[in-house]
Formats: sequence, C-alpha cells, structure tokens
Amino acid sequence: MTIETHAGPRDVIDSPEETAQLERTWHSPGGFIGWFTHVNQRMIGKRFIITAFIFFLLAGILGIVIRLQLAAPEQQLIGPELYNQFFTMHGTVMMFFFAIPVMEGFAIYFVPLMIGTRDMAFPRLNAFGYYVYLIGGIVLFGSLLLSMAPNAGWFNYVPLSGKLYSPGYGVDVWTTMITFIEVSALTAAVELIVTTLRMRAPGMSLNRMPLFVWAALVMSFMIVFAMPAVIVSSTLLILDRLMDTQFFVVAGGGEPLLWQHLFWYFGHPEVYIILVPALGMISTIIITFTRRPIYGYTALVLSVVAIGFVSFGLWVHHMFTTGLPQLGMSFFTAASATIAIPSGVQIFCWIASLWGAKIRFHTPMLWVLGFFAIFVIGGLTGVMVASIPFDTQVHDTFFLVAHFHYVLIGGAVFPLIGATYYWWPKITGRMMSEAAGKWSFWLAFIGFNVTFFPMHQLGLEGMPRRIYTYATEMGWGDLNLLATIGALVLATGFGVTLINAIWSLFRGQQAEPNPWGAPTLEWATDSPPAFYNFRHIPVVASRWPLWDWERDGERAVVTGLRNDRREVVLTSVLDAKPVGVQVLPAPTIWPFVSAVAASIGFVGIIFHPIFFVIAFFLVFFSLVAWFWPRRPWRED
Amino acid sequence: MRVLQGIDVADMTRFNPDRRAPLWWGILGLITIESAVVLTFCVSYMYLAAYAEAWPPSGEAPPLLWPSINLALLMTSALTMFLAGQAINRGNQRGLALGVTTSVLLATTVLVLRTLELMAYEFSWKDHAYGSIVWAISVFHYVHVTSIVVGSAVVAILAWRRYFTSQRQIGVVVDTNYWYFVCIAWIPFYLLLFWGPRVYGQ
Repeated sequence: MTIETHAGPRDVIDSPEETAQLERTWHSPGGFIGWFTHVNQRMIGKRFIITAFIFFLLAGILGIVIRLQLAAPEQQLIGPELYNQFFTMHGTVMMFFFAIPVMEGFAIYFVPLMIGTRDMAFPRLNAFGYYVYLIGGIVLFGSLLLSMAPNAGWFNYVPLSGKLYSPGYGVDVWTTMITFIEVSALTAAVELIVTTLRMRAPGMSLNRMPLFVWAALVMSFMIVFAMPAVIVSSTLLILDRLMDTQFFVVAGGGEPLLWQHLFWYFGHPEVYIILVPALGMISTIIITFTRRPIYGYTALVLSVVAIGFVSFGLWVHHMFTTGLPQLGMSFFTAASATIAIPSGVQIFCWIASLWGAKIRFHTPMLWVLGFFAIFVIGGLTGVMVASIPFDTQVHDTFFLVAHFHYVLIGGAVFPLIGATYYWWPKITGRMMSEAAGKWSFWLAFIGFNVTFFPMHQLGLEGMPRRIYTYATEMGWGDLNLLATIGALVLATGFGVTLINAIWSLFRGQQAEPNPWGAPTLEWATDSPPAFYNFRHIPVVASRWPLWDWERDGERAVVTGLRNDRREVVLTSVLDAKPVGVQVLPAPTIWPFVSAVAASIGFVGIIFHPIFFVIAFFLVFFSLVAWFWPRRPWRED
Repeated sequence: MRVLQGIDVADMTRFNPDRRAPLWWGILGLITIESAVVLTFCVSYMYLAAYAEAWPPSGEAPPLLWPSINLALLMTSALTMFLAGQAINRGNQRGLALGVTTSVLLATTVLVLRTLELMAYEFSWKDHAYGSIVWAISVFHYVHVTSIVVGSAVVAILAWRRYFTSQRQIGVVVDTNYWYFVCIAWIPFYLLLFWGPRVYGQ
C-alpha cells in the first residue's frame, strides 16, 4: 500500500502554543483525588506493571519460605496449615496477579506506542480494569494476613475445595479473586483487540505490525475465549459453597471431573496467555540487538497464531490420571506433541536471525539468550510428560514442579525481565546500569538452574509436590538443600534488578528517544513520552519505520487533529487506511466508583447472596453516571 | 529530520455510528465473551446430563407452553428493537423512542412470566445437579434480561428527550446489538432446558 502525499509535500511546523494546548488537553490531573481519575493508557499500563511486580515480590517471598521449610527433612518452620496456604497463594498470585497483569500492563503501555496512537479505544474501561485488579489483590493478601487464605492449591480441585472438605472462607476468597481477575483481564483484552485493529497509524497494515503487537493481539483473543470457562466454573463452585447447589457433589448427582475439564479448558490456554506476549518481547529484542530485520516474519506470526489455536486442544493432558477414555487420551497426547511444531518454528527463526549477525550483548539480549537455554529444557520435559505412561509415573511429583517452573520462569519471566531492561528508558527516561544488569542475569540464571534442575531428580525419586516436609530416611535432604540455596541465589539475582531499577530513577543516565537504535514507533517519541504520546501521529510505510526515516532523513505525519480535545485517528482493519477520527473521553472518577461498586458485590456474596442484587444496582447506577451524555453535546 | 504533511484528517467525520466506531467493536467483544459463557453453560448441562442416571431425576420433562411464549415475546422485542434502530437511521426520533419503549415493555412481560415460572418449579437448586444447572441457567438469563431492561430504559429516556439523531446514535447501536444477543441466547437455553430432557430422558 502507498500513502498518497499531496503534490509537493509541505513541512509541518508547530508553534509552542499549539504544543502547550495539546499538553493541557491530554494532561492527567495531579493530587490525591486526581490519581483516581487518570485514564491515559500509559498511566494505567505503568500501574499494572508496578502492581504486578509488587505481587511478584510478595509471592516470591512466599516461595522462599516454602523452600526454607523444605531445606532439610522434618522441619517445623511453618506448620502444614500455613504451608498449604503459602503454596496456594504462591501459585495463585504468580499466575493470576503477576503473570497475566504484567503482560497486560506491558501491552497496555506499549501497544498504543508501537502502533503510533495517543491512547486506547476505551480509556475509562482501562482504568476500571486496573482498579478491579488492585482491589482484588488487596483482598487476597488481606485474607492471608487474617489466616483466611485459600489452601486448596492454585487449581482448586473439587471435592477438596468443596464445602465438606474446605470449610471456612479460604476457597470463597479464591473464587472471588478469580472473578476480579476475569473482569480485569477481559476488559484489557477487548481493549487491546479494538485498539490494535482500529487505531494503528496510517500505513501500518497487518503485515507491518510489530511482532510484540501481534503477540499481544493473540494473547487478547486467547483471554476472550479461555476466560469464560473459568467464569462458569468459579461461579458453579461458589454456588456449591454458598447456595448448596450440587454441581460437584457426587451424592447429589454432580460431577467433580466437570471442574477439572472447565478449569483446564481455561488453565491450559492460560499458560500460553503468559508465554505468547513473552515470545513477542523476544522477537522485539532480537531485532533491535541484531540491528537487522527478523528472519521469517510471516512464519513467526503464523506460529504465534497457531500456538493460540492449538493451546485450546491440550487441556486434558492435565487429566491423564483421571481415567478418561483411551481414544480421547491419544488425541490429547497428539495435540500436546503438536504444540512443539510452532514453538520449534519460532526457535529456528530466531536462530536464523541471530546467525551471522553482529549481536550486541546488552542486558536485554542476555535475558533472551537465557530464555533459549531454559525454555528448551522445559520444552523437552514437556514432550516427556505429554506421553501418558511417563506422565502417570511423575504425576504430582517434583518433576512436574521442575517442568512448569522451567517453562514459566524460563518462558515468561526471563524475557519479561529482558523486556523491562529494554523498555525501562522509554518508561522512565533513565537507563538502568549495564553492569548490575549482567550481574543480575548471571545470578538469576545460575540460581534458577540450581533451584529447579535437582527437582527433576527429586520427582523421579518419588517426592510428591505439596508436602510440607519429608522423613530423613527418604534421602531427599541433599537435593532439597541444594534447591533452597539456588532459590536464595535466584532471589538475589532478581533483587539486584530491583535495586538497579530504583537506583536508576535517581542516578541513571538520561535516556535519549531511541537509545538502542530500535526500528519501532515507541522509540519515535521522547523518553518518557509526553501525555499525548506523539506530537503528530506518524505515517508508516514499512515494518521498520525508524530505520526508514534514518535512511531518508524525512518522515510523514498526520495533520488536522484538533488540539483542544482528545482526538485519535481510526484506520481500517487490514490496510490501516484512515477512515475517521475518534474523540476520546477525558479523566473521570466514575471508573473507580464502578470498580468499588463491583467489588462490594464480589466480596459481599461471600457473606450473603443479597450483595449480588445490591451490587447489580450499584454498578448499574455508576455505569449510567459514567455514560450519561454531558452538555455541550458534540455537534460537528 | 524533515517532518512532512502526509495525511490530513481535519475534514474527516467525528461521528462513527456504524462499524467504524470502536464502541461497536467493543460491544462485539462483550457479546463474544458472553457467547462463550453461554456455550460453557450448555456444555456443563450436557456433561451433567450425560453422566446422570435419570434426567430429570423425577422423570417428567418440564412443560413447554410458557417458555415458548417467552421465546416468542423475546423475538418480537428484538424485532421492535430493530425497527427502532431503523427509525433513528432515518432521523425519526419518535419512532426510536416508541420502538425502544415497546421492547422494554415486552421484555418486562417476559420477566414477570419467568418469575411466575421459577416460583412454580417443583425442585430446588439444592435437590440435585439437575436442579442446580436448571436454576443456574435460568437465573443467568433472567439477570441478563433484567440488565437489558434497565439499560434500554435509560436509552428510552434519552430517546424521549430527543438526545439521539441519525448522527449521534452509537448508544442506540450498542444497546440494540446487546439486546439481540440476550434474545438469541435464549434459543439454545430454551432448546436445552425444555427440549433437552425429552431427548436425554429417552
């Protein structure tokens, strides 16, 4: 596609008054009350990222305590009850309150910047999603302080999580927490899909979209189709617990296995929801640090899409030991092995991109290379557990614990930390220390392997997961001690990055707009960007706009957007031809009010069903206030 | 670096009442999510039915008359909603207000009838898995009909106050599309809840 330019293109010259007016229009108000009215996508994205990393820290501390408890046989550091709460909280918080929100946070922050627009399609909905997430997280950790935390594992199987075997509020808190995350993730997903499809810079047709944007798009579609299953399953469970329904109660004709089907129909795509954006981050970093176009763009896009589809056909491999029919098991074994194909295509494209390139080994690139080593090991054990006889042997042992930490930390957290180093100058305007970054990487890489590699052996020796201690005679003491030492090294590695990040805010070197020489649009604006993101919405003619501009010494932009209200360009879905202008809403308190109203309902129903009705009408009235048209009505 | 004028959007429309509007896509997203929820409820019903010894446990299939009348009322309300949307496309504000109000009244009738039906169920959600899933699906849809009634009542109020025009009508488009979804969602539920036992019972 070509963009028609006017005969004899004219230079765009901005007066300081116009820029100041644009700044005022997009400004987020300050002050305590002002904080609750922010709607700009970068504010919300940053909050998602910071909040998620705080949960990462808290859940990481729980993980360390778990490792200390297991360091030697027959320890009584924390008793069995607290141990159950800790491993449940560790898994739940890492999966639901860290991994999904942090990926969404990066997508919310960077997708609009990478596609060259000024905000997302529904800025207020964005804010609503954040507050729901924040309140949900506070409620969950509050329950831990009150010793009311869930203790039935992060996948919360019935009948253990039923009323009979889990009295008390713990599991109720878990189902409530799930509801918060569903709402928050789904709002972000719809938001990202609509923004990506309708608000790309003119000229950025689908085949020119940055790979991270593709990954975020696939992640969002996966959330849209996976989350409904957990909406239904958590609703049925809470009804069983609060209203005495019989969905999962065998005596009443219920089916406990229905829970496993519904949960894993969501739960398996969930791990890919975490992985897919990380794949996008890896491609992004590889492009920048090899300074050349990626090998196999189309193959990479297609394999990310393929991973999205195939991941919905894998859920039964979590249920191989439940006695399902033989034919079904064979199908899911085949599907589980199939996922290796698109994953392999990705790896080979990356290897081809790195082959013969002048790689710059900066910190983000190191984390990506660390990903390769760890993720390949995790992938290999994944192929092993896809085989039913082997899976039956290691089911519920530490082999599984080793496997999923290899794929989740290796597959998601390592690229994520790399991406944090990569995008940090854009978010904060400061560079993090390279030396500290490299220390952090090596400590984390060595610590990670020392922690989790011995767990393969422990699993093969028969050590089950979720036991709070073990007898000396089992002979598992040495490897467990090694794993605990590794965990402390790993934590130190992440700690170095935390200190590096905080230190850089005050002492870090000032970042230029494009410190890494990257080709995508987020680097075309200041670091950190102004409230309006781009002074002019750019016009794009290839996959690597910044490299084009560097070569040509000139670039084209969109003109004609008003400065006195929040206007963005709408473009067509496939070709990104401009089709209209959308006026976006200004800051407001109503999303926060709606989030509080919804939270009253979610938490209230634990104590009495009437809160459902109360919250229904509270939310309704706050939504009416949110959407009620204000004069002056738009007339043009 | 030279910054050149590429595309000028000063004269482009600021109203996007049709498919160009982000909100149209947003509501499509909500409908997709909720359709997946509807599907999951249906699958759960079929799963429980497939493993049950008798479905329903009493052996008697539920009556068909009132649910069918509800289905007809909901479909009619979708039609009046469609006509309301057509009216405002032509700039007919009174037609819009009348259409939306008629739909709200029809759906309110459905709510009254459904309330009577639920009160007449011979089983509780506590009795058995059949009772649980039938009540869950019934209440799920009941809540949705309630939400379109209160939501569209607000649209009707704005319509009578002549807020909407053929240009400024994205609120109507969104409300109408969600209305269609709630009405159409009743079709699989109706088939499953009232015809399903006749199939599984054999």
